[in-house]
Amino acid sequence: MSAVALGRTRAELGRALTEVRAGWRWPAWLAAAAIAVAALVPFLSLPGVRVDALAQTVYLAVAATALGLTVGAAGLPSLGAGAFMAIGAFTSALLVARADWRLEPAALVGALAALGAGALFGGVVRLRPAFVAASTWVLAWLVWLFLLAFPSVSGGSQGLIVPERNLFGLDATPTVHFEVALGLLVLTALGIWAVRRGAPGLELSALRQAPALATSLGARLGRRRLGAFAASACLAGLAGGLSVQLAAVADPASYDPFLSFKLLVAVLLGGAASTLGPAAGVATLGLIALVSDPLARLLQLPLERFDAAVAALLLVFVLALGGGGIVPWARDWLARVGWPPAPARSGQVTVCYKEDRASAEEAGDESALRAQGLRKAFGGVVAVDGLWLELVCGRAIALVGPNGSGKTTALRLISGSAAPDAGRVMFRGQDVSGMPTFERVNLGVARTLQSLTTFPELTALENVEVGRSVRRHYGGGIRTALATPHARDEAERGQAAALAALAIVGLEQEADAPTALLTSSERRLVALAAALATDPEVLLVDELAAGAGAEELERIAEVLARIRARGIALLLVEHNLRLVRLAADRVIVLAAGRAVAEGSVAEVAESPAVRQAYLGTQAL
Amino acid sequence: MAAPQQEDAQEFVFLDLERRARSVCTPEGAIDGRTGEAGTASWSASQGSASGDDLERAPPVTIALQVLVSGLAAGGVYGLFAAGYSLMYRLTGIVNFAFGDLVGLGIFATLLVLAGTSPVTQSGAHEPRFLGALAVGLVVCVAAGIGTYVGLVQPYLARGSTIGWVAGTAAVAFAIRAVIGAAFQRSSYVFPDPLPFHRVGNAGFVKIGGAEVQARAFFVIGLALALALGSAWLLERSRFGRALRAVSDDAEGARVVGVPVDLVVALAFGLVGALAMVAAIAAAPGEAVNANTGTLLGLKGLIAALAVRFGPPLRAFAAGLVLGVVEAAIANVHVGSWQLGASYREVLPLLFVLVLISVWPSRETLEERE
Repeated sequence: MSAVALGRTRAELGRALTEVRAGWRWPAWLAAAAIAVAALVPFLSLPGVRVDALAQTVYLAVAATALGLTVGAAGLPSLGAGAFMAIGAFTSALLVARADWRLEPAALVGALAALGAGALFGGVVRLRPAFVAASTWVLAWLVWLFLLAFPSVSGGSQGLIVPERNLFGLDATPTVHFEVALGLLVLTALGIWAVRRGAPGLELSALRQAPALATSLGARLGRRRLGAFAASACLAGLAGGLSVQLAAVADPASYDPFLSFKLLVAVLLGGAASTLGPAAGVATLGLIALVSDPLARLLQLPLERFDAAVAALLLVFVLALGGGGIVPWARDWLARVGWPPAPARSGQVTVCYKEDRASAEEAGDESALRAQGLRKAFGGVVAVDGLWLELVCGRAIALVGPNGSGKTTALRLISGSAAPDAGRVMFRGQDVSGMPTFERVNLGVARTLQSLTTFPELTALENVEVGRSVRRHYGGGIRTALATPHARDEAERGQAAALAALAIVGLEQEADAPTALLTSSERRLVALAAALATDPEVLLVDELAAGAGAEELERIAEVLARIRARGIALLLVEHNLRLVRLAADRVIVLAAGRAVAEGSVAEVAESPAVRQAYLGTQAL
Repeated sequence: MAAPQQEDAQEFVFLDLERRARSVCTPEGAIDGRTGEAGTASWSASQGSASGDDLERAPPVTIALQVLVSGLAAGGVYGLFAAGYSLMYRLTGIVNFAFGDLVGLGIFATLLVLAGTSPVTQSGAHEPRFLGALAVGLVVCVAAGIGTYVGLVQPYLARGSTIGWVAGTAAVAFAIRAVIGAAFQRSSYVFPDPLPFHRVGNAGFVKIGGAEVQARAFFVIGLALALALGSAWLLERSRFGRALRAVSDDAEGARVVGVPVDLVVALAFGLVGALAMVAAIAAAPGEAVNANTGTLLGLKGLIAALAVRFGPPLRAFAAGLVLGVVEAAIANVHVGSWQLGASYREVLPLLFVLVLISVWPSRETLEERE
């Protein structure tokens, strides 16, 4: 057993090594060289360079890099990163000073304390960004006011003296701290880089750009955002817990809300969109301080006030220039010069798409989903009033009706984005009425949105890959950061499945195009492909043909036919009756939340109830 | 207890803010802005009257009255800040993190005109000069508020960049703190008092039902209520108020029917600052003010507004009143010998509000989902 496991591990490591060698190009050489040079800096005894200040700067860069995950990837405007550093610092300082702990476990417990405090924000990260910003701002002040109000914890104005300790068996000199901080920075940056380019990063990015669309595809907003927030809190706590020992004193004054602001400035200055941006921002702030500190002394201004003003001005300047930040600007400039050349996609991937579900032939005419007496009222308006319907594998039902007749509400009730007042949704005999959206997507009920949304910053393929969220089993943050074999395999398979889904809607040629460049009906098809990538058994399609031209209708009808051929049950909400005629087997007509007619397209077209619903009772 | 209190009555007219300013704004051991002895005397006096033997012997009704009056006076100021936050949020969907500091800027501009950056003497507060200084302060506050909106909020709102306005307003907050801190380098200042409250009652204190409460507190409560109700009435009745309500309901719709949205919102960003500033100045005399004063008042206003999820401005004002009373109660009320005390008053409300909005989100606060 263990021999087999060892053998597999060795094989996987060999495979990973091969992949690394294949992917090892000039940026990797550059990064390795930069790290090596940086590691040598303390031994060069450069004039005017204080190693302890340098080490503190690198610790700050760790916290800033971690904040980059929150601000850049998750899009959460955090004004409280310094609070987590403070929590880590004072927890570790108290353990070392009062309980006589060793430094390493104390810093670790400090990181855990920060992680805990970050996890308490689980409720907050689900909120709108304005509330996230306000809560983190309140947290930054809360921690500082707490430290000021309770001198017994913080040591009062003198601060808490942290006795000297060893660090990994070595005397904790500034040089040792510098090397430890540098190692921590490299690991942090690598981990965050892996997460951001992997599945969790894609989901975070999707949730940031269009939270409604991303949750409809099964991405879990609360969990993903909390993961990013808590991880960055934990890393900030670790940096705080280690750096406080180097400073030898934990002083509340160095953990005021300005620290949080300074970290945010570093992130935005360096570029939140890039993993290395925040560290570059900290370095830039450090270089600016080399000039501004003597200037402040010359003008006889208080140093910390001057720093704050400089940081604020710098931030306003960066924002005014478009807010990109140094690293993205540099990258854009390099790209304009044509360096590095963009890698070409390697060949066309052909896979069978359906992986773990029954094929169309096996499924037969099985009933997939039943809605039983669904009812939903908004205040006094009854939007859906007792809707019954049955979706069958490989068949398409169209839901038509005038505006405001409750079609979209019906889809929302079935997909789980709204809860019915009465009635049930049964999927394969299982009552799913109480399930949240992502669980239904997981079971196989997917939906496209009526609004014309894609994730504008992502390519068509990446858009579709977001639909793989619920199909990933090894795509969590930690596995992705460590790039485990399962996570890498799954990422490859996910991309193949997404390409196949794009092929179904006929857009495989556009895989690498940013969706902002596609036409509106192509964008709808990309959204459809994303829903298809969730591997559904039931697909709810909301107004696919809105604004489509006559020649596009044929293409859309073909796409729908291909989807039906895979044994997927379709429910189409559609205004375009030509498409209904082309694509649907049966039609249900809704008026004021009730089904007023049901039957084949021809039958329904003749129904007097339908004429009344669309045209009113008055004769024309 | 009586002797130091009389000497320094003018200086801690506003007991709660005074102690906040001392125990929290200025770190321990900081040098007082005034002459050392006066500062020490008033420090011990405020300690003595708040949590010393005096109150412990006082009957519960007396404590309740004192808590209520001083709490409502502090809360009236918080409430106007909260109403301001709430109005700004409803107009634009943003939280103005510079709000407290913008008001602080107005307060220090007033102080600058009154007395320069040196310690204040009471002779500086002649009425005409005070009114002139107040006018300058208000103009500065309104102009800075409008400037913040035009320069650092509106561009990023138009671009849909959340991080832009968050970082922009926070940058204004820290820049103002830096400027005030650099210009006024003492750790705290005394705000001059144009109104002769120290002549009312026993050196500014009146006795009601056994409780000694400050005469100024009633003035502050009345003024805050008048400002809140007056502006609520204006919001309801005036043309400007109707325009504001139209924008907060539907900014695009308002633009379409001819409301000059940007102008109206910019004005509102300035005027909410003026309202809060008037109340803060009414409460300020005798209190130690420093660069943190505006920031902390803004923070209190923000948590009151957060507690009602940026609901209607009057509701936010009420939340501010409640916050003031709660703070006073945390600091002063004791059950037997058990008492939370002054250290907790800063921390507990912040913690409570964080837990509140995290545990009970509402449809308005949750990220939009499908």
